[in-house]
Amino acid sequence: MNRSKDLDTIAPDDEVIDSKPETTSIIEEKSEIELTPEIKDEPILKSEPKSNPKTPKKIVFPQKIYDILGHTKSPFSSFLVHPKVLTFPERDNEEEIYLALRQHWFTNFKWIAFTIIMLFVPTLFNYLSFLNILPPNYRFEVSLFWFLLTFLYAFEKFLGWYFNVFIITSQRVVDIDFHNMLNKHFAEADLDVIQDVSSSVKGIFGTFLNFGDVLIQTASEINQINFEKIPNPEKVIKLIRELREEEEHKQDEKGGKK
Amino acid sequence: MSPDFLTGNWLTYFLLIQKIFFILCSIFYFIFAAIVVRQTISMSKNITDKFNPVIVIFSYIHLILAAFLILSTIAL
Repeated sequence: MNRSKDLDTIAPDDEVIDSKPETTSIIEEKSEIELTPEIKDEPILKSEPKSNPKTPKKIVFPQKIYDILGHTKSPFSSFLVHPKVLTFPERDNEEEIYLALRQHWFTNFKWIAFTIIMLFVPTLFNYLSFLNILPPNYRFEVSLFWFLLTFLYAFEKFLGWYFNVFIITSQRVVDIDFHNMLNKHFAEADLDVIQDVSSSVKGIFGTFLNFGDVLIQTASEINQINFEKIPNPEKVIKLIRELREEEEHKQDEKGGKK
Repeated sequence: MSPDFLTGNWLTYFLLIQKIFFILCSIFYFIFAAIVVRQTISMSKNITDKFNPVIVIFSYIHLILAAFLILSTIAL
């Protein structure tokens, strides 16, 4: 199966063999947009007009991100690099999502194990004497109700994991949480107001499976954002540091022009 | 107290009370399943991803099963 090798077009479900693109394709891209090695580190190609549809948007900088983060293959991954489909309504038109994070898959282990145990409980009903006084259709009803409750429990836990996301975009970091499926919590901080970023990896499983918390201190009204139990916290910190540096460069350039 | 109850027909009353209890539970469960559908749709709008339609379909299947639960309880 032919797959795109342009790193900008890699979606989570695209199979990626090598984390680095072939040299020839880079040379072709460079010649197309006339990039020199000196301006390779420039985050955004500002010399090109935005209206030009042939302009490859941010062709160099995402490569840096891929170098830091690698690639994601599964859309159910808790570490989605440059997701193609995932988006949120508060996103600006020109804002690009670099990384979307969910809690590490291991955090689901507890409820999955509990669900499996719950699934086997109806088989115990046959051995429970107090249920034998009920007619068979009543017993069926109890079992059906139990299975639905089990499904609801697992579904609610899955939704809690799936829709609680931490997003790092080209402009800001965003934390979207849903508590008990009913309350939405949205927190964001622009990259230029981020002051400190720290991480902590705790416990045997955290150390073994490499997941932990990332705490982002900001100078804005929401003074801290906590990404909890996310995979590869050191890579996330590295990415945020890189993005902050790029943001500072941009601001310096703006200041220099003025 | 009726003599039937004393002579062992108490199971009929017990099952009747249980049936009413089941019907009430299944109605509440159906309401809750409807809330889950609504919340799932709301969450899907807040975070758009590839598998959102599948998740919404699952919540609808759950709602249908909850409706089936009411019907089967009434038919007891």
